[in-house]
Amino acid sequence: MVALVARSRRSGGASPLSTLGRSAGPATLILSSLADGAKHGYALTKDIEAFAGVRLAPGTLYEVLSRLEGQGFIEALASDDRRRPYRLTAAGAEALHAHLCAQRHVADVGLGRLSGSWGVA
Amino acid sequence: MTGHGAPAVPGRAPAALDRRVRRLLRWYPRGWRARYGEEFAELLLAELSDQPRAWRRTANVARCGIAARLASAGLSGHYAERTAGARACLGTLTCSVAVFLTFGITMWAQLAVGWQWAPPANPATAVAMLVMSASLLFLAVLALLATVPAVWTAVLSCRRGQAPNLRRPALLIGAGVLTLVLGGRHFGNGWPGTGGHWWPHQGLAPGGLAAFGWASTLSVTSYWVHPAALASFPPAELAWMAISPAAMLSLAIGAVQLVRRLELPSPVLRFEAWVGRAATAGMTAFLGGALCWVAQGGPAPHGLFRAGSIDAAGLAVMAVALATGWQAISRARPIPPHAAGHR
Repeated sequence: MVALVARSRRSGGASPLSTLGRSAGPATLILSSLADGAKHGYALTKDIEAFAGVRLAPGTLYEVLSRLEGQGFIEALASDDRRRPYRLTAAGAEALHAHLCAQRHVADVGLGRLSGSWGVA
Repeated sequence: MTGHGAPAVPGRAPAALDRRVRRLLRWYPRGWRARYGEEFAELLLAELSDQPRAWRRTANVARCGIAARLASAGLSGHYAERTAGARACLGTLTCSVAVFLTFGITMWAQLAVGWQWAPPANPATAVAMLVMSASLLFLAVLALLATVPAVWTAVLSCRRGQAPNLRRPALLIGAGVLTLVLGGRHFGNGWPGTGGHWWPHQGLAPGGLAAFGWASTLSVTSYWVHPAALASFPPAELAWMAISPAAMLSLAIGAVQLVRRLELPSPVLRFEAWVGRAATAGMTAFLGGALCWVAQGGPAPHGLFRAGSIDAAGLAVMAVALATGWQAISRARPIPPHAAGHR
């Protein structure tokens, strides 16, 4: 974890997920869902709905899954049935960490300014 | 491991649901279905069990399926494997060139017939014919340059026994070429330019070539919307007008499949991409000439060189084909020479 933080701070510029364009949002949700273990498509949909309140449409889910797999951020696991689970790779964990750190920085700045100017805690 | 149990149980989906899932899957290209089809079908079954009717879900699957098809044609999205992406782009360009040439040769052959009987009075028509003829010659040279290394690679692959999937495209190309050559030569005997007078000193297009181009593209005509006139055609000619598009389709499909399946070495792929870019320049010049004729070229004596609605429609189709080909070839990025050793 310490190594991930150090690397993401060193990288400085845009996070690897930002190269996904409009898929960056769904990609963040998918990678966050996979961060605690492998899941198949339906389990991903349900988990994301539970923690983010967003239900990813099936087409969008697989569009982003294929891009993440192509970039090496996730990998498919062997499965006995037709539902193939996916898991996060080390590159995916690093990309997610860098992206979330950047998002947290934006959130901290925004909340700090809201608190200072508008009194919103 | 998977956390949430999906309601759909493999092998127990009701037939109606199964049919709906299969219909939705058809939006996606074959390659995508081979990789993700089964698991995506499982997800759809589970989604349909949760929420049987949802037009947003259908629209989402359709949109993403079309996006996957465009990506597989090299027209959008990304390819994880650069060489496969470049091959997909070249395949789409091949298809675009085939459509472009079908309509382009129709137009050119019509002008060649007119030129046999009387030189064009309007300079715009003369310039258009010169530009179109030069562009066609340029495209023919490029086609030869592109074909030689591709065929050589295919032959080498076959000799090594590494090309079982090239049999079908080779058969399609062979059948298409054979049909077009035999039919084109036979029906070229009825060429309306026969007996005409060569425009002095022109030597612009050999009569045999013009006759072959005319006969091969007989099916591209506005007679299809005039059934009464069409009924007066000899049955053999009508049959040829139905068979020749099938032959052209067979040739085009075979060529596209060959380009997509042939594992060209990186230097050859870079050369083919260069030829492809030159081809879009040739197509642009041809379209400019055709536009010049349709927009400016008035009819000559006896109504020769008159541009009709079929020519305007042909221009529109050619413009779309050119735009598609240009988009495809601009996205073809074979591995550059300095990176070829570091794949």
